[in-house]
Amino acid sequence: MSTQDQSAGKDRSAIRKFTRDITVGRNGVPVARAKTSGEGFRTYEIHQRMRPGETTAKMRPNRLISEEFLTDPYAPLEVLRENYPCYRDWIGNSYWVTQYNDVTSIFVDDANFETRPKSWFYSIEGFGRDLRGEIPVLSAQANRIDENIDAIASQIVDDMAASDAPDLALDLAARLPMELLACVLDLPKDDVPLFVERYWAMQRGYHWEPKSEQAGLAAIEDLTAYFDPIIEARRANPGDDMVSAIATLDLDSGPATGADVVATLLEADHESLHGGLANMWFLLLTNPDQLAIIKDDRRFIKFSWFETLRHSTPVVTAKRFALHEVERFGLMLPEGAMMNCSAAAANRDPRIYENPDSFLVTRKDMCQREPRGMYRADGLPAGITFGMGPPSKHPAVPEDRPRSLYAINKDIAVKASNILLDKMPNIGLKSGASPELRALRNGEMHTCWHLPVEF
Amino acid sequence: MSSANSVTGSIARAIDPMLQSASAPEQAVPDFPMMPLGQATDMGHAPDGTPLLDPRIFNTMEFMRNPYPYYKIMRDHYPVFHDKLHNCYYVTRYADITDCYFDDEGFNTIPKGSSSGVLGNTQLELSGIEHRRRRNLYGQHLVGQSLNHRVPAIEKLAEQMISNWDNLTPEQGVEDKGGVRSIQLGKVFANEFPIRVVCQVLGFPEESQEDFYYWYNSMMSGLGGSDTQKQGLEARQHLEDYLEEIVEARRKQPTYLYDNDGKELGKDVISKLCESKIDGDYLSTEEITSNIALVVGGGGETTRGAILNMWYLLLQHPDQFAEVVADEDKWNLAFHETLRHSTPIGGQPRHNTFDLDMHGVKVPAGSLVNMVDFSANHDDRIFKDPETFNIFRDDLYSGKLLRSGFAKEGKSSHMAFGVGPHLCPGAWISHQEAVVGSKILIKHMKNPRIRVDKMPKDIDGESLAPIGLISVRELWIDYDLE
Repeated sequence: MSTQDQSAGKDRSAIRKFTRDITVGRNGVPVARAKTSGEGFRTYEIHQRMRPGETTAKMRPNRLISEEFLTDPYAPLEVLRENYPCYRDWIGNSYWVTQYNDVTSIFVDDANFETRPKSWFYSIEGFGRDLRGEIPVLSAQANRIDENIDAIASQIVDDMAASDAPDLALDLAARLPMELLACVLDLPKDDVPLFVERYWAMQRGYHWEPKSEQAGLAAIEDLTAYFDPIIEARRANPGDDMVSAIATLDLDSGPATGADVVATLLEADHESLHGGLANMWFLLLTNPDQLAIIKDDRRFIKFSWFETLRHSTPVVTAKRFALHEVERFGLMLPEGAMMNCSAAAANRDPRIYENPDSFLVTRKDMCQREPRGMYRADGLPAGITFGMGPPSKHPAVPEDRPRSLYAINKDIAVKASNILLDKMPNIGLKSGASPELRALRNGEMHTCWHLPVEF
Repeated sequence: MSSANSVTGSIARAIDPMLQSASAPEQAVPDFPMMPLGQATDMGHAPDGTPLLDPRIFNTMEFMRNPYPYYKIMRDHYPVFHDKLHNCYYVTRYADITDCYFDDEGFNTIPKGSSSGVLGNTQLELSGIEHRRRRNLYGQHLVGQSLNHRVPAIEKLAEQMISNWDNLTPEQGVEDKGGVRSIQLGKVFANEFPIRVVCQVLGFPEESQEDFYYWYNSMMSGLGGSDTQKQGLEARQHLEDYLEEIVEARRKQPTYLYDNDGKELGKDVISKLCESKIDGDYLSTEEITSNIALVVGGGGETTRGAILNMWYLLLQHPDQFAEVVADEDKWNLAFHETLRHSTPIGGQPRHNTFDLDMHGVKVPAGSLVNMVDFSANHDDRIFKDPETFNIFRDDLYSGKLLRSGFAKEGKSSHMAFGVGPHLCPGAWISHQEAVVGSKILIKHMKNPRIRVDKMPKDIDGESLAPIGLISVRELWIDYDLE
């Protein structure tokens, strides 16, 4: 390999970091002093002055962190999408990107935009290794789910049927991912409630709210202490679960620890299944004509899953950060610029979908495949949700890999819904109930938290 | 079975209290209680006792009127505070801010901030030699000998404005009753005085001063994507249209400034800029108007705020006011202590050029790092008993402005004008305006006192409102006519 090739493959982040000698100033602050005086080093030819016609007067930035945005983000997002495709939000110090083609163009653009892991938002980068991508870990996860989904989903639906006030959102949608996770990790039954509590605290803590952040950090500490002995035990005596898979990984940087398990769990995503399932049944129960279609032909459950993730994705926006200065959407985006890429807005882009605000399980203008937001081989756009990453490197699933998480989640949702319909064929919204979608807090999942049903 | 229900219970507890009280949803901006001045509201504590800081506090009225206890939490516990809601960092200690301001390369000023949208490409947002060249072009007109030449003209302007009070109506801010005259100092003096000085320095005709006042007000309120941004941009456009003709005319025919005796002092700033070259090229009209926009904007707001804040604070401390009245030189002390205690401009944004680790906080390159001058001025590592207004404090340097911030014998300068290469070039002329103007004001006012009934009150409804983050908007003063 020539030297040129080697430098081309060099880690970009290493080049960005500390290209100057850093000295330490008063009070211990590192400072990068210019070594030569009199040398000009940065001028701007591009005038970023705005003209009166370029004001963004139709959107007050406060609206994007308002109570309205928590309950119905679609109205303000439509204002952005139809007026300001790349909106400079001065209060949140960020840019909002809302059109489908713009959002997807950022998600696939690893050369210019980076994702920052949840551990970065926690400021605990490097406390453990994120091992989600390891094939044995993925396989253990997929196998455990496939083997146990029927039993777990049946049990949950039975419990819900026995309940005095069955609540589909809490009793099924919220509980199922946690029971499955406990099963994937093969946790002792008695430990599960406490584990779930800590897991939730960890997943809610990396946003801006300081009390939740403290609770999340404490949960991470507790979970690490909890998994340390478990991982040692399973290294000695491995099973077929995910902790055993992590314990027995042959890693260059040393054997896995409890912190690695927690780091892997932290970066994983439970919101897609929980939020997607709750939103799907919210939409089905509030759109009886669509519910009738899936009752009539169960094949449409799968389509209603994809249509839900398009119509009411639980993940409203995803953050990306500009790796360097880059010109996009008619603006010069500075290095480090935070891009709020809104899946919710893009999924309702009328340039892409006809009747975007309608929930139609028989929709013909959407790709019925992994909802990762890209045009697929059939030329149809997919909805955007979940991890929202670049296109898969494995367009056809290879033999030695389990199917993707998108597919696994879809199968879980379809299976659970089928079981639900088998056991409660005449399920309907509890009379008098008026469920709604909302985010609990700015930046969090937009979903239905209470969905009272009767059957 | 019990475990099954407990899983649901665990989730319910995790999303509590939202789930329990869907009818009383968490508010995007909660009602933080108004606290007594100097006390922070309790936002929770970390297990080790460190007070927590909810970033929503920055959007509240409580913070606007009572910011200093929150800055103290930051200085003491989070010298570099990462605000994840507003995607920025705050640096709050005096010494840290000084370091960062001096590090012209590590903390750049390239145009992604809020001012460039309205003001255009100014040297605010350049670094290194590019910054120095442009700054020196007009900075030289605001200091030293050329400023001294202007002082008589500044005095004359002040006298003119004050002698006009006899002709003003109550709507215009002057009210006479029973031998006592009430004035609204902002309306009748402080708002317009700095703009008139700027217009004079720039050599604009007197009849355009009202337009300038409007332009400056609109541009200042239109910075940074605020609700009034459109108004700001329109004002900027008007200013540019107006200036374009003047600049083109002065390229052909320069105009001159004269002192009181009619002696020629030299070309005015615009005429000078017209014939200035950078890298062998004349400045474009766009560059000239951007810099004028900056001078009009920067020269107005800060000086206006300084004059009003100074009088507001002094009149609330009659013993110190008496000393100032007795000895005119003490106006300098009052000016500097005012800017330390209640500066009208609270800080500057910077963006770090390199990934940094400051006080254990990792700051990725390109982040918005706010240097909080408000907080530096109240840093008890530098100023003893910082919340107290005391013009005689022995740790505040009040001589000729220092770029370093640190003076000999343990004194430090206030941070209102910044330090380092971007030190406000108008600092000295602002000082002269406030001090010269006040010396003339006090000659015309007998026994001045604040007219309390007309002033905004604090939360108790009785005491005068604190200055907080916004400078005094209106200041009603009563004084005795002979």
